[in-house]
Amino acid sequence: MSSMVEGATQVRDTTGLAAALEAVLFTLNRAVTILELQDILQSPLPDIEAAATSLTEALAGRGLFLQRHQDQLQLVTDPAQADVVRRVLRPEYPSRLSPAAYETLAIIAYRQPLTRARIEEIRGVNCEAVLESLEEKGLIEETGRLEAPGTPRLFGTTMRFLQILGLSSLNELPPLPQSGSTSS
Amino acid sequence: MTGEITAELERDPVYVVRTPAFDGPIELLLTLAQRAEVDLRAISLASLTDDYLRAIEQAQPPLDRLAAFLVIGARLVQLKAAGLMPEARVGEEDDLQAWEDAIKGRLEEYKRFKELAESLMRRHASGRFTFAGLLEPDVIPQARVQVSLDALASAFRQVLDRLPPPGQVTVEMEQVSLGEKLEELRQMLARQAQLNFSAIFRHARTRLEAVVTFLALLELIRIGEARVAQVSAFAEITVHAQERKETE
Repeated sequence: MSSMVEGATQVRDTTGLAAALEAVLFTLNRAVTILELQDILQSPLPDIEAAATSLTEALAGRGLFLQRHQDQLQLVTDPAQADVVRRVLRPEYPSRLSPAAYETLAIIAYRQPLTRARIEEIRGVNCEAVLESLEEKGLIEETGRLEAPGTPRLFGTTMRFLQILGLSSLNELPPLPQSGSTSS
Repeated sequence: MTGEITAELERDPVYVVRTPAFDGPIELLLTLAQRAEVDLRAISLASLTDDYLRAIEQAQPPLDRLAAFLVIGARLVQLKAAGLMPEARVGEEDDLQAWEDAIKGRLEEYKRFKELAESLMRRHASGRFTFAGLLEPDVIPQARVQVSLDALASAFRQVLDRLPPPGQVTVEMEQVSLGEKLEELRQMLARQAQLNFSAIFRHARTRLEAVVTFLALLELIRIGEARVAQVSAFAEITVHAQERKETE
């Protein structure tokens, strides 16, 4: 295994690695973790990060788009091409969510990971049903458990969340409006 | 103070609340809410107030009754607000300021998220989605991923390519009967109601046999004893046994 790798290994500059990354993401056609990519591309983490940045830049103005959610990368179509892709695929995404769902999504997106109790504290109402529905739609998922009595589930957003909003990453969310008192 | 008022008015309710979560005199609602026996979060105080305003427009109750409603209403609002702050117990006058600040902070936080929720909604409504190359079945329902004739033909092409090309070698007449192949397919589907497309050609040794098998499959589809499906784009085509419809 390692001898094969040695044979194939060559000094790749960032552009070359970005091209390799593009090829891998295209063929795998799913969200791929940075850890997996380190193994596939036989490159250390900083090189993968640099390649991802380089690929994002290279794809500017093109039909494809690099999406990054936490430690996952995925090659998707550019949000600017949504209309034409929709014409081809006629996807059946829910076009609208309830106001409660958007509120809950906003809280999770900015405060993740967090527990249902924390979400309910902010919204002041029971959120069980709305969380269940968001999880079912694949917009949020359990990201772990809080080390506290009852080990409550921690929720976070998903790649699908970025897809329905056409965001390249969570960093692209509008900034959290600041108030007088800084949040914890 | 409020206790006296509620006691005094219990005989003749100030207002009767009619909501799905609570139905009864507003004094009782307050008493139960104070004892945490009713969940105020399930009751919209705004619509309760709206209902009350509509009611007094008609009835025009005396001033002391209006005042009583106001006192009870204010206490309910305070209790409900306290519910938003589970960690702080309300009631002590001395930490009222701290409590007010905390409530204000909590409401501001909620307001910020409400604004963000609206911006998420606008973004979602703009429809600027990104699409993955392979879509999850719930985005494009399976029912829509039907097998086109082209897909079926190209799958068959792959089967043919695996078999030896027609050489100019044998002149020996091969006998493959469509009827036999039909029966064979029927038996396969009877044993296993779902088969991979490639599986039905597993025993085909020659291109002729594969062609006849394919014709047999098309015949079964035509007469409604089988159908073909594909769970997602590019997935293996599967052949399913089907009850023959006795129409036509």
